[in-house]
Amino acid sequence: MVLNAPYTYPGLRGVRKAAEICLKCGVCCAVPEYGCPAQYDPQFNPKHTYVYDCLGAEKPASNPSIWQCVSCHKCEEMCPYEVSPLHFIEAMKQRALEAGEAPESITGEIEQVVNTGYAFPVTANTERLREELGLEPIQPTEDLKRIAEATGLRRLRK
Amino acid sequence: MKYSFFRGCFIPIRLPHVEKVAGMVLPKLGVHLQPVEGFTCCPEPIGVTVNHPLTGLAVSARNLALAEEQGHDIITLCNGCTYTLKQANETLKADSELRDRVNAILAETGHKYNGTVEVHHFAQVLTDAVGLDRVEAAVERPLTGLKVASHTGCHILSPPDVMGFDDPQVPVKLDQMIIALGATPLDYEYKTQCCGWTLSNYGDRNAAARLLGDKLTAMHAAGADSVNVICPQCLAQLDTGQMLAARSLKLDFRLPALFYLQYLALAMGYSLEEAGYDKHRVKDPGFEEKLRRILA
Repeated sequence: MVLNAPYTYPGLRGVRKAAEICLKCGVCCAVPEYGCPAQYDPQFNPKHTYVYDCLGAEKPASNPSIWQCVSCHKCEEMCPYEVSPLHFIEAMKQRALEAGEAPESITGEIEQVVNTGYAFPVTANTERLREELGLEPIQPTEDLKRIAEATGLRRLRK
Repeated sequence: MKYSFFRGCFIPIRLPHVEKVAGMVLPKLGVHLQPVEGFTCCPEPIGVTVNHPLTGLAVSARNLALAEEQGHDIITLCNGCTYTLKQANETLKADSELRDRVNAILAETGHKYNGTVEVHHFAQVLTDAVGLDRVEAAVERPLTGLKVASHTGCHILSPPDVMGFDDPQVPVKLDQMIIALGATPLDYEYKTQCCGWTLSNYGDRNAAARLLGDKLTAMHAAGADSVNVICPQCLAQLDTGQMLAARSLKLDFRLPALFYLQYLALAMGYSLEEAGYDKHRVKDPGFEEKLRRILA
C-alpha cells in the first residue's frame, strides 16, 4: 500500500511531518482499551486499520472514513514514530470541505454556528428548561455571519 | 477569583442544569462567575475549527477578545471549549502574522484580540487555583464509600503541552478530585478511551455504541456505583448514549453518570434533585439508595 496522503501540507500551525514515515506498525489502532476509537467500525481490522484506510486512500479527501476521526489524539499518543495521523486527516477534511465533499453533519453544523452563534439549535424545550431553572434566555448573535464572510467560509456554503 | 464565565453551547442549550449547579457551587469556593454578553460557540472543534481553521480561529479570537474587554481569564465547563480556546490562544500568541490576519477579520465585529487572558477548565481552576484542600474543607457530607469511575475525556488531555491538565495515558486529577469529596476512585480498563460522543455524531453510531458498552462494562466490573465526568458531551454520551447503547447491547446494569460539580453539590449538602439528577436519563435505584445511606 502506498501512503497517499499529502506528504506535507501547509497548515495554520506550520508544515507537518511527511506521512511517508508511517511504517504501518498499526500500534495506533491495535489496542481497544486506549487506541483509535474509529477502529471500532467493523470495516477495519489489524491488517487494514482505520489509519491506513485514511492515509492510503486513492483520493484521500473523498474517502468518507476521514469524517470518523474525532481528533482525540490517541494515534499521536501511541505512535512510536511521531507521525500524528490526525493532522493529516484534518488536512484531508479541509480539502474535502473546500471541494464541497463534506457531509451534511459537518456543513449543517457550520451553518448552525454561523447563523445563530451556537452549534446546537435552541428549542422550545431549551427555553422551558432554562426558565424552570431560573436561567436567562439565550441570545443569538449576527457577528459570526460577518466573520464567515470575511474568512471566505460563506463562499463555500450552498 | 473572578473569571469570565464561558458556558459554551451544549450546557446552556442541552444541559442547563449543569450551568445551574456551577452557579450554585463554584462561588462557594471563591470562584466568581462573571457573565459575558456576546460569547458564542467556542467554536466546536470537530465540526468547525478542524475543517475551516481560519474561521475557527477568528470565532475563538472574538470570544477571547470579549474576555479581554472584561479583564478576566476565562473559565469553561467543557473539554471541547477548553481545547478550542486554549489552542487558538496559543496559536495566535505565537504567530504575529496570523494574529494580524485574524484581527483584520475581527475588525468586522468591532473587537480586537490582544492575547492578554488565559483559558482554564473548571477542573484546572479547582486543582490549581482553588486547591483541593479548600474543596475538601467545603465538604459538609463526605461521600464515604461511594465508588466512582472517573472519565477525564480526550480533549482536556491532549495535546498535553497546550492543555496542561494531566497525563493523557495515566490521568490522576479526577481521582484526586473525587478523593477530596470523600468518595473512592476506581481504576478500570478503558479509562483513557474516548466516550464515543463525537464518533456517534459524525462517524459510526454502532461503533460508538460498542465502544461505550466496553467502557461501561469495564467500569461495572471494577465495582463502580457511578461515573464522574467533566465535559458535557461525555455526560450526554454516558447518560443518554448509555440509555440507547444499553438497548442495542442488552446491558444488564445501569451506571448513572454525574458531572463533577454535581458530586460537589451533593457533598456540599444539596439533594440529588437540587443537583439536577432528575434531568438525567440513566438512573439506578441501587445508586440512589447507597447515596441516601451515605448522606443520612
